[in-house]
Amino acid sequence: MADVLDELEGGSSTLTRGDLLKRGGAAAFAVSMFGALPDKALGFYGPLKYQNKQLSGELKILQWAHFVPSYDQWLDNTYVKEWGEKNDVEVKIDHINNALLVATASSEVAAQSGHDLFWFISPPSSFQKQVVPLNDIVQEVTRKLGPMAKVAKKSTYSPKTKTFYGFPDDYAPDPVQYRRSYLQEAGVSLRTWEDLRKGAAKLKQIGHPVGLGMSNEIDSNMLLSSLLYCYGGFIQDEENRVVIGQGANRKGAIEALEVMRDIYRNGMSDEVFAWTAASNNQAFLAGRLSVALNAISIARSAENSGNTALSDDTWLASIPRGPVMRLGNEHVMGVFVIWKFAKNKEAAKKYLVDQQLGYREHFIRSQYYNFPAWTGAIKGGFKTIREMTAQDTHKPKGKYTILTTIAEKYTTNPGHPGNTTPVIDEIFQTWMIPQMFAEVAQGKSSPADAVKSFNRKAQGIYRKWKNQGLV
Amino acid sequence: MAGRVTAARRSLPTYLVLGPFAILLAFPFYWMLVTMFKEDLDLYNAENVPYVYNPIQWKFWESATTKHVEFLFTDTHYPDWLVNTAIVGIAVVVITLIVALPAGYALARLSGSWGQTAGIGIFLVYLIPPTLLFLPLSPLVARLGLQNSLLSLILVYPSFTIPFSTWLLMGFFKTIPQELEDAALVDGCSRLKALTRIVFPISLPGILTVVIFAFSLCVNEFIYAFTFISSTENRTISSGVPNELIRGDVFFWQSLMAATLIPSIVLALLYNTFLDRFIKGFTGGAFR
Repeated sequence: MADVLDELEGGSSTLTRGDLLKRGGAAAFAVSMFGALPDKALGFYGPLKYQNKQLSGELKILQWAHFVPSYDQWLDNTYVKEWGEKNDVEVKIDHINNALLVATASSEVAAQSGHDLFWFISPPSSFQKQVVPLNDIVQEVTRKLGPMAKVAKKSTYSPKTKTFYGFPDDYAPDPVQYRRSYLQEAGVSLRTWEDLRKGAAKLKQIGHPVGLGMSNEIDSNMLLSSLLYCYGGFIQDEENRVVIGQGANRKGAIEALEVMRDIYRNGMSDEVFAWTAASNNQAFLAGRLSVALNAISIARSAENSGNTALSDDTWLASIPRGPVMRLGNEHVMGVFVIWKFAKNKEAAKKYLVDQQLGYREHFIRSQYYNFPAWTGAIKGGFKTIREMTAQDTHKPKGKYTILTTIAEKYTTNPGHPGNTTPVIDEIFQTWMIPQMFAEVAQGKSSPADAVKSFNRKAQGIYRKWKNQGLV
Repeated sequence: MAGRVTAARRSLPTYLVLGPFAILLAFPFYWMLVTMFKEDLDLYNAENVPYVYNPIQWKFWESATTKHVEFLFTDTHYPDWLVNTAIVGIAVVVITLIVALPAGYALARLSGSWGQTAGIGIFLVYLIPPTLLFLPLSPLVARLGLQNSLLSLILVYPSFTIPFSTWLLMGFFKTIPQELEDAALVDGCSRLKALTRIVFPISLPGILTVVIFAFSLCVNEFIYAFTFISSTENRTISSGVPNELIRGDVFFWQSLMAATLIPSIVLALLYNTFLDRFIKGFTGGAFR
């Protein structure tokens, strides 16, 4: 902890001794070499890049390739350039496929070199020891915008170390997307999981199965842990202790496993065990699926395809209610971290603060995908967000307003009711949840045995991270 | 006339066997070609015939679009990736030849079983998977300050092109009779001259095989290209395409197809131009 704070203090200086020596040397060299040529007096560094500013260096950012290409184009070519000019920082922003984020992060950590700012698609709590705590900028933004969304706080705050190891930037609510005509034809409701359990067979019968993944990919992780919440099968408690093997949690987890097993047997096909994050999108857009749980990339892709029969028939809904609650994980929790080895920590912090303060533009340009981590970033909060989403012109009119309800009431963090701890991160990264569900659905294990085995592994992971002092 | 019919009859079984294979192997390329010009509306409608443009009409180009190919060239760094791939490929081929040619020759001419054993040993190095090798290479590249530079790939790729090429050339050099070199030496050639004037020209099929093989490996390689290059504009095709054209959970199918078809055509033409020599190169050392 002390070393992190030391680093923070060191990093807060705008001009280090190294910089001073470098610039002093450069100035001496310039004066001696070009003293007679005033227009070339800055020959060593070149002329200042932006008028009346001091060159502050380079800021390297890595984040995912957003599913809306125009968002990235605006971000790279307009937003980042303007911010760079304003702050006299040369910003370089790179994009990669979201499935490769963790591997790239591990590689940068191994090499202790890479980007200053690294964006994750879900809270990267297992990287806590490699990053700079960001309490200062979290407080700064909170002072200006009001409290951050609960989902954002619980995703990025470690109660053990009392630090924000990451800066929550954005999150995407996770609605159910369904073909209204198919559900009407089959007479199926999505009000509760029990409704879907009963209706799955009818949907499969009309040739449009349900599409809920049980594979090693992020959508399956999010969906299946949400199902656990709805049945009260929580992996951990509020104190972040693993409790899935105990009492009501165990009972809830077993029920959730039984429900998914029945939905699979009656209303799905075995392709769901081999899905990637894109598979439910593709099957839905091909017109096969009746129901999928995903962020709005499905609905937006349908609209962009120009297939109005498909897009007008694609409706959004909240996650079905379970016997205990109606609650789902965010689909994406965009978290920025600043590596300890980052070269321009101050610029990175300023970038994060400025971006959040002006997040309204990001929300619009991402086609309402990126919800700000601080709802106050959009003046008027959820009320304004509801009004903005209601203005979307795609049919059925106002379909995106449900996102506001989901974000406000039914969205939580992985690890609910606790925080997104390294234990939860490792459980997610090793795909233990979809594997548990798949084993039961395929009849390889009984629900009770699957929960028992899951609990044993989860306890092992908990002990490992407890020994490291992070839970 | 009768002769022609007889010839046709004779070649019929060949075509009957080859025809289905040719169709099967060419089909992915046809699929890519058709898909890259498809409208989204056409692509995502499951009721459409997937092998042609919909709505089906004689003037099929009216149902197609070039916008996804334009997107690839104007809104992504694809042209940069093509250039980067070419730079890395050519540099690696040159390095590989500089090292593998003398190494292959020396091993071929090494008397006793040492040459063969050393050759096999070198080939085994090729079998170490890049997924393991990139771990120690990653800090090395960082220490050399080559991260996010094409030089990192130019440095690392020969680690797998040289072992295989050396082994391949070793087999090929063995097919060249020692007497030819001896004759050149008797006629006053130095060892180096004998190599450049006699041995290397005869070995051209083997050398071409190495060139094509090393270049193909560079185009296809993903792990190093992805690990060592982080900025979008510095990427090669193999890492740039999956990073830029799979966005979130959405695949940009048409652009993906175009992005993969274009280098495939270049490689296919390269292979076809030197096909005979290529086969000779691979089978050259088969009986020695």
